[in-house]
Amino acid sequence: MKIKPPDRIIRISHSDPQGRARIRPRHIYILPTRYGVIFALLLLLLLIGSINYANNLAFFLTFLLAGLGIVATLHTWRNLVDLELTIGNSDPVFAGQPASFTLHLNNSRDGERPSIQLQIDNLPAATTDLAGRSRDSLRLQRNTSKRGVLPLGRVTVSSHYPLGLLRAWSYVEMDATCLVYPKPSTTRPPATMQGYDRSSSGDKGVGVDDFVGIRPYRPGDSPKHIHWKALANERGLQTKQFGGDRADRLWLDWDSMPGVEREDRLSRICRGILDACDREQEFGLNIPGTELNPSRGQNHRHRCLAALANFGETA
Amino acid sequence: MRVQDREPLSRSLLSALIILLVAAAVPHFFHLHLWITLFFLASVALRVASMVRPELLPGKLLLFLLAVAGLVNVTLNYPVLFSGETAIALMTSMVGLKLLEINTRRDLFIVVFIGYFLLATQFLFNQDMWMVGYVILLTAALTGVLLENSRHRPSGNPIKTYWKSLALLLQALPVMLVLFVFFPRLSGPIWSLDSPDISGITGLGDSITMGSISGLVLSPAVAFRVEFSGPKPAPPKRYWRGPILWDTDGRNWTRGKPLTNEPLVMKPNSPVIDYFITLEPSGRRWVMVLDLPKAVPEQAKVLGDFQVIRQKPIYDRIRYQASSWLFYNTGKITPEELKRGLQLPGNITQRMRHLVEEWKSVAANDLDVVNQALRHFRNEEFYYTLRPPLLSSNPVDQFMFESRRGFCEHFATSFTLLMRLAGIPSRVVTGYQGGEYNPLGDHLVVRQSDAHAWSEVWLPEAGWVRVDPTAAVAPERIERSFEFDTGLADGLLGAPIRFGNVHLGMVGNMLKQLRWGVDAVNASWHRWVLGYTEERQSRLMHMLGLDFLQGRRLGLAMVVFAAITVLLLGVAIWYKGRNRIDAVYADYLRFCSKLKHRGITRRDTEGPLDYLKRICRQRPDIKHGATQITQLYIKLRYSHSSGKNDQRSFHSMVRRFRP
Repeated sequence: MKIKPPDRIIRISHSDPQGRARIRPRHIYILPTRYGVIFALLLLLLLIGSINYANNLAFFLTFLLAGLGIVATLHTWRNLVDLELTIGNSDPVFAGQPASFTLHLNNSRDGERPSIQLQIDNLPAATTDLAGRSRDSLRLQRNTSKRGVLPLGRVTVSSHYPLGLLRAWSYVEMDATCLVYPKPSTTRPPATMQGYDRSSSGDKGVGVDDFVGIRPYRPGDSPKHIHWKALANERGLQTKQFGGDRADRLWLDWDSMPGVEREDRLSRICRGILDACDREQEFGLNIPGTELNPSRGQNHRHRCLAALANFGETA
Repeated sequence: MRVQDREPLSRSLLSALIILLVAAAVPHFFHLHLWITLFFLASVALRVASMVRPELLPGKLLLFLLAVAGLVNVTLNYPVLFSGETAIALMTSMVGLKLLEINTRRDLFIVVFIGYFLLATQFLFNQDMWMVGYVILLTAALTGVLLENSRHRPSGNPIKTYWKSLALLLQALPVMLVLFVFFPRLSGPIWSLDSPDISGITGLGDSITMGSISGLVLSPAVAFRVEFSGPKPAPPKRYWRGPILWDTDGRNWTRGKPLTNEPLVMKPNSPVIDYFITLEPSGRRWVMVLDLPKAVPEQAKVLGDFQVIRQKPIYDRIRYQASSWLFYNTGKITPEELKRGLQLPGNITQRMRHLVEEWKSVAANDLDVVNQALRHFRNEEFYYTLRPPLLSSNPVDQFMFESRRGFCEHFATSFTLLMRLAGIPSRVVTGYQGGEYNPLGDHLVVRQSDAHAWSEVWLPEAGWVRVDPTAAVAPERIERSFEFDTGLADGLLGAPIRFGNVHLGMVGNMLKQLRWGVDAVNASWHRWVLGYTEERQSRLMHMLGLDFLQGRRLGLAMVVFAAITVLLLGVAIWYKGRNRIDAVYADYLRFCSKLKHRGITRRDTEGPLDYLKRICRQRPDIKHGATQITQLYIKLRYSHSSGKNDQRSFHSMVRRFRP
């Protein structure tokens, strides 16, 4: 049974700047589950029967079960109170892939906290049993449809321990975000990028100044240029290519695709970045507001994709 | 609707449910028809078999057919629909079938609830203390199933789960006590499944069939209430006169034709007692009066045998005034009374005659014969029990010489018959004996369980005289009944109390002491638990000085006291489970804060060792102390050694630390 009170009046815990949140006693809501309602009906039935037969032992059992229900309310509440949540890492994803957020749960009490459930919106929930004085991590997944910064949103922390007759829950607003890159387009950006690549073919293997790429080893290549690291990684014998200042530096340029709609353009550039990374090619990014000089490597890739993700979002 | 609801039940939970449900049903087997028990056991067997071979589990159609079969089974064995027994039989059958239908976690809840219900119904048949223990143990086990089910993963430790659910029940106990004590008790049932027509109300009938009842159901329902204008008669004098039985065929005792004579003028030997009676509807014509009536209410008349009847049956609660004499002499006997008071049935046996001849041979007069008979009941091994064995076609003979166990009806009818055999006119009187005094309402409550039967003999000097042979055998019945302890004997099921003047050895004496102990416990059990009625509730309130708590206010008090109890429980539970920073960590935090004042603040991400490095770099002068503290902290914190000495020295080290 879930009710949605208006946001104005509900109590929500917020995470502190360190990304921690603690469930406070007065922030916990509690209501009977469907089974709790059936249990209440059973109690009513037992009570009527007890009154009718004036049977004191039946009264005894009825009241014992009623007491059990009340005690269970306290325990369900206690199962959540003072539980600590901390934001964990969330790796960037491409739009369309599920974003996954990690939340760390910390039980700093000696007693266990079974059946702790985390849920965002109506998405599949994650559940765990926390032992006494222990930590655990749960992953929450959220579907992505568009690029940008995806906030985790309001997490519902709930528990129906000990009897399953009652469900206690609390809303926690965690400052966790996940960066969503644009969805890579199936269309590649134009093969010849406009802009300032000085030669579309370059002078591969001729110059000596800058590393421009690798190619399979050919007899006669200088041993100095053999890519030993690749050999050590069992990727076969490869030769590092060096070029002069006319090296083939790929520029992924916003203006190279006139007439293409904005998001589509970002998608295509995203595809271009992925392709360039696959080829271990050096590339630069030029979109309005951001210009990143040609480089390579995971950090560069992330910086470029993040620029695409945040395009037009922030000043 | 959670996804979990549709998850299949784990095998261990399923087995636990089957075992617990069978255990909850087992006590019913003793009073259910064999066929109902067999049906239930067959369902259980099918369920168990299908755990090994799932293809045996019946489908929807077969299940429906089985349900029909169960229904037919019940109707064949229980012709009376809408009786409590039929309901229990039906429920037991259907519970068996429900076992065949448990598949998911959702079914688990339903089955556990059915289990609770089944346990509650046990109290309709058995109110012994051991049954309460049995029910509590099973309730805890069923609760344990809920506990286990509400975890994400099984705990793998059933014993621990069971203890936990016992602990939950223990915490529920204070709430239960408050509700039990303060829940307003009603004096009568809301509806009665067992008596669709009003004449079926338990209580007095207008006939007695000896030996046909193997168990007297003690109903705490109120028969009538009495307010005395003057002093109350002593408990052993509280005989409430009902129908008088004259005619017998040796087994049945009935009223027969009403006497034609007017009641004889009595010679009262005591002052008149005036009282008001509020009679609950009985569906009968007779009204209750204290023995022996002087003035009777309007719309009623006294018959020749001092039975008071009204024109019409009583279907509404009535209140009337009456007055009685406790001591009296009815004087002469009429020829009709003499004739009817000496009628004998055809089944008088030789040994009955011998017994009476024996009494007569040593007796000087009729009074002596009566005393001989009472002495016989007292000295021979007669037992007073509410669960006597069934008797055959000649119940008096069998009772007098063989079974020798029975309750008031047995004693009264046998005694009357033997008196007639001795040539003393006699009759059986039915009514009520005793009553419970309610000081708050200043009235006496007489319950259906106070129903009684005694005898009246005519003696030339005294007229009709009341003789209660039950009192000779079980004086407790007469002396204690005002405490609603007529159920006393019920508590000693199968072990009838012996009231005879027999010599007991030392072991016998010890056994007697033990029996008195058991008796005392049983008496309290009956008094404070089973017999906790409206009257007793107001008496308790009176004792607690809470006289003003009545009716609606009592309900309000229940809510208030329950709320206070829950609040206290909540505080206790919260206090026990609050986040406690352990002492070692608290000391370490003090160490950090001391350094913070000297400008070396520990960063959030900094471990103790990194912090120590930084401290040593910045303040080489305190290197020694800081290192000692940090090392001991790491030892205490991470090596799981909870040495009390280490903790103490750590504490003093931190205290003495002066950066």
